[in-house]
Amino acid sequence: MHEPPFVRDRAANERLEAWECGSCGYVTIPERREVCKRCGEYPDWNEVQLAERGTVQSYVVQQRLPDEFETPLPVAVVDIPQQGGGEPARVYGLFTETNPDDVEIGMEAEADFRTMFDIDGLPVNSFKFKRPRGDRL
Amino acid sequence: MRDVAIAGAGIIDFGELFEQSFDEMAEQAFMNAVEDVDHGIEPGEIDAAFFGTLDIANDASSGLGASHSTGLFGIPSSRVENACATGSTAFRQATTAVRAGQADVALVLGAEKMRDSAEGLIEGAALDQVWRGRGVTMPAFFGMRATRHMHQYGTTREQIAKVSVKNHENGAKYPHAHYQFTCSVEDVVEGPQVTYPLNLYDCCPVTDGAAATIVVSEDVVEEYTDDPVWVAGSGLSTDSLLRGDDEALVGFPASTQAASQAYDEAGITAEEIDVAEVHDCFTITELVTYEDLGFCEKGKGGEFIDSGAPELDGETPVNPSGGLLAKGHPIGATGVAQINEIYEQLRGEAGAVQVGNDPEYGLQHNAGIGRNATGSISCVNVLSAERP
Repeated sequence: MHEPPFVRDRAANERLEAWECGSCGYVTIPERREVCKRCGEYPDWNEVQLAERGTVQSYVVQQRLPDEFETPLPVAVVDIPQQGGGEPARVYGLFTETNPDDVEIGMEAEADFRTMFDIDGLPVNSFKFKRPRGDRL
Repeated sequence: MRDVAIAGAGIIDFGELFEQSFDEMAEQAFMNAVEDVDHGIEPGEIDAAFFGTLDIANDASSGLGASHSTGLFGIPSSRVENACATGSTAFRQATTAVRAGQADVALVLGAEKMRDSAEGLIEGAALDQVWRGRGVTMPAFFGMRATRHMHQYGTTREQIAKVSVKNHENGAKYPHAHYQFTCSVEDVVEGPQVTYPLNLYDCCPVTDGAAATIVVSEDVVEEYTDDPVWVAGSGLSTDSLLRGDDEALVGFPASTQAASQAYDEAGITAEEIDVAEVHDCFTITELVTYEDLGFCEKGKGGEFIDSGAPELDGETPVNPSGGLLAKGHPIGATGVAQINEIYEQLRGEAGAVQVGNDPEYGLQHNAGIGRNATGSISCVNVLSAERP
């Protein structure tokens, strides 16, 4: 098992913190590196806070997975806007508490803080998505 | 730089080969390639080996895997690994070495033992990953493109299914295919769901197999054959594991880039490809690959399969050997087997699956992937019946 990566990525995993390229505006999560994956520059990076709600760009519903997963399990590519404007970040995430038949492209998805799994009894926390119930912001 | 040709190709029957070890499979594919050389070849004349495997069986870990299984010691031998583009990259590296004068006769050997362990690639579902693959299996990764392609271009579930129908029809005529059955659109659409929107017959099987190719320089080609197939061009490209742009939601930009490199090197355009063996790990992969390789316009993959163009007797036959869907996908062997099929097609020796358009140019394509719903690595090789 590899504990250090989860410590390194805690800001992204647990607080949805991302980094915005000062040159082209590309938003990277969960990794922050010196070179921008899109424009290839070595820009200044701005730490940005993502919203807790995004839009489904594509999805699948997995029926067959190892025992650690509950199936059927929707997985989606989601665009999450920054709280202060600018480009959204594109992430993918597992869904929870959502009827697979309800998932569709263009649907809003709400990020919920969850325990993903544990390693030697210590939880690794991050976000799972679900269909919003009502208009909580 | 010298011209390079294929002088021999060997393959074993793909399938559930529990009775054969990794080395036995590789050895047999190698011996079949040696047997195939028109004027004969002595193993001692091979002066380099390129070994393509993901080593899922954990059996080789180096180029020694090729040396040990074939008995080719004392020559340069290296292991090549490039996800699903492993076999095609091994071929590319071998042709590059021969072009550069580093070898006159090079062996490309691809092998994979997928069935010995039940887990196989499912471990790639990455239980202990948060962002880079947790819960994402291969059908999910590729299925993302299917959902989006249907939404964005109006591609239908039936059009996607037709890829499986076509490839199983071809596979039933191809002697080395893992699966030799045919199926209907209805069978595909109503089959057991693996990962919505993909069902069982949308997915390639888990298969053991091995294949070998012998490539030679222009300086020695006449010693081995009077009917060589020439390497006209090659391309290799990558896309980020985490950078998801809109283009990557409906296709594989790396495929387009690799194809563009290969076309440029061959001095041709997509229109000149007469037969293709492309990566159809899933039905949707082949459908978007039509577009990525320039066989049709972006978004028109569904119309392309409807038109019959990729059928055996169509204008641009795709996957005459049954593709990964019917033949199987023993990862290291896959690209090598595709190269061998194009070699046979261009020599007019493909038997029951020989395409009807007297092909001059043939294309081989693999697209391998990263774990997130974005990245890909793609290798494309273009072969020619005539010397470039």
